[in-house]
Amino acid sequence: MDMLFRNFRYFIKEGFSNLARNRLMTVASVTSVMAALVILGMFLLIILNVNHMAYQVESQLELKAFLKDDLSGEQIQRIGEEIKGIDGVSSVVFESKEQALEKFKKQLGEKSYLLEGLEKDNPLPQSYIVKVKDANLIKDIADEIKGINGVDKVSYGQDVVEKLLGIIRIIRIVGLAIISILFVISIVIISNTIKLGVFARRREINIMKYIGATDWFIRWPFLIEGIVLGLLGALLSVGVLALMYGYTLDYVNSRLIVFNLLPLSDVIKDMALYFALLGSLIGAIGSGLSIKRFLNV
Amino acid sequence: MIKFINVSKKYDKGIIALSNINFEIESGEFVFIVGPSGAGKSTLIKLLLKEEEPTSGTIIVNKKDITKMKRKEIPYLRRSMGVVFQDFRLLPNKTVFENVAFAMEVVGAHPKEIRRKVPMVLSLVGLSDKADQYPQQLSGGEQQRVALARAIVNEPSILIADEPTGNLDPDTSWEIVKLMAEINKRGTTVVMATHAKDIVDAMKKRVIALEKGNIVRDEARGVYGYAL
Repeated sequence: MDMLFRNFRYFIKEGFSNLARNRLMTVASVTSVMAALVILGMFLLIILNVNHMAYQVESQLELKAFLKDDLSGEQIQRIGEEIKGIDGVSSVVFESKEQALEKFKKQLGEKSYLLEGLEKDNPLPQSYIVKVKDANLIKDIADEIKGINGVDKVSYGQDVVEKLLGIIRIIRIVGLAIISILFVISIVIISNTIKLGVFARRREINIMKYIGATDWFIRWPFLIEGIVLGLLGALLSVGVLALMYGYTLDYVNSRLIVFNLLPLSDVIKDMALYFALLGSLIGAIGSGLSIKRFLNV
Repeated sequence: MIKFINVSKKYDKGIIALSNINFEIESGEFVFIVGPSGAGKSTLIKLLLKEEEPTSGTIIVNKKDITKMKRKEIPYLRRSMGVVFQDFRLLPNKTVFENVAFAMEVVGAHPKEIRRKVPMVLSLVGLSDKADQYPQQLSGGEQQRVALARAIVNEPSILIADEPTGNLDPDTSWEIVKLMAEINKRGTTVVMATHAKDIVDAMKKRVIALEKGNIVRDEARGVYGYAL
């Protein structure tokens, strides 16, 4: 244990002295890794928000079955039962003409005076609001409800929903592809930096091998060097991303109301943790790759 | 201590460096490996350090078959052997003291032990007053003495020297060889590959002579035996 600790002190000392010796390369590669991770992080944020959006879309998915005006209470009841009986329907709520008007007023807010006087001759239809278990089933269920006697019209904003789901899918795929590419690029950047250090010290490594140093004894300082590079790049990029995301939130939230973006505090804590891990991983892989060749003596 | 049994080494281009070599070195012996360039001396040393693998045959060091040794065990094999090279191989950015201490750090020695042992070894090789100097401030002979100190500081059972006097003038060469004889007297087995005829002839130690990958002579109190 004592020996392990002593070795570890040596590894850290050596690792940091490598970083200090190649100061310019250290700064250059930390900056490059940071840039790569900022772009990676931007796509990650987009994907997270798109997922959040998709969830909102899917949870808000409901269809409205508008009923004809001249139905008796009994008939309305029967239609409700029938809709409930369809596979994939999770809930059915009746909305009377009065409730519909009330809701409309609420939506208009300050301008609700426009609707004054309509109470006596309410033009809004009564309806069933139907929630479905799975967004993909919505079209089939809508068709089925349309066939029920007494149902006037069914609406669920089909075009919008389908297009949105399509766009979300594409964004996810492209985002993941770009993230993978940037991951590899970051590894290459770090690997090249470490390679310079390894190359400058190849004599030393050779001598260490003859003296009887184990592979891990030789490897550790370089691994630490790589991990520090990756970690620094990652933490700096989280800082940049937090700033950028903060501005984006201010901008979007003042204009868009359809969807709300994930709040900064939710995103950045997870991101800092994942990026720290990701940065260390990138650094470890990068340096592991570059030293392999020099260990075969 | 060291045993070569039917050892052959062929290189890729069909060059035969060693063919069917057999010899045994006992604990505490001082052995010269002699022969012209390309006779297989370097290959023999490389096989001993497990820097190269033999094409066939068995090599036993300290009762262990090193040809069957796993990669992970190689560092521990090398810790049982101290090595000195023609080109010294010191770390230029470390002082004499640090160069020797480094060999102890690598094997995880305690700092207290390092501070006790390094001055001892430096005094043995006569470099106590140069402990704080850097290799490039030293003469060739002094550098080789640092390398010797580094090779023996972990008390290996075998000292291997590959042309240790190759870069040194005759007087300095003698100092190094006398030092190696001193180390041998303290119980360390010494294997020295060399071209230095005068030294081999004067030392009257065991001589294994190689020629074109074969042992042509193995004499207990031998001489170099080649015309210059």
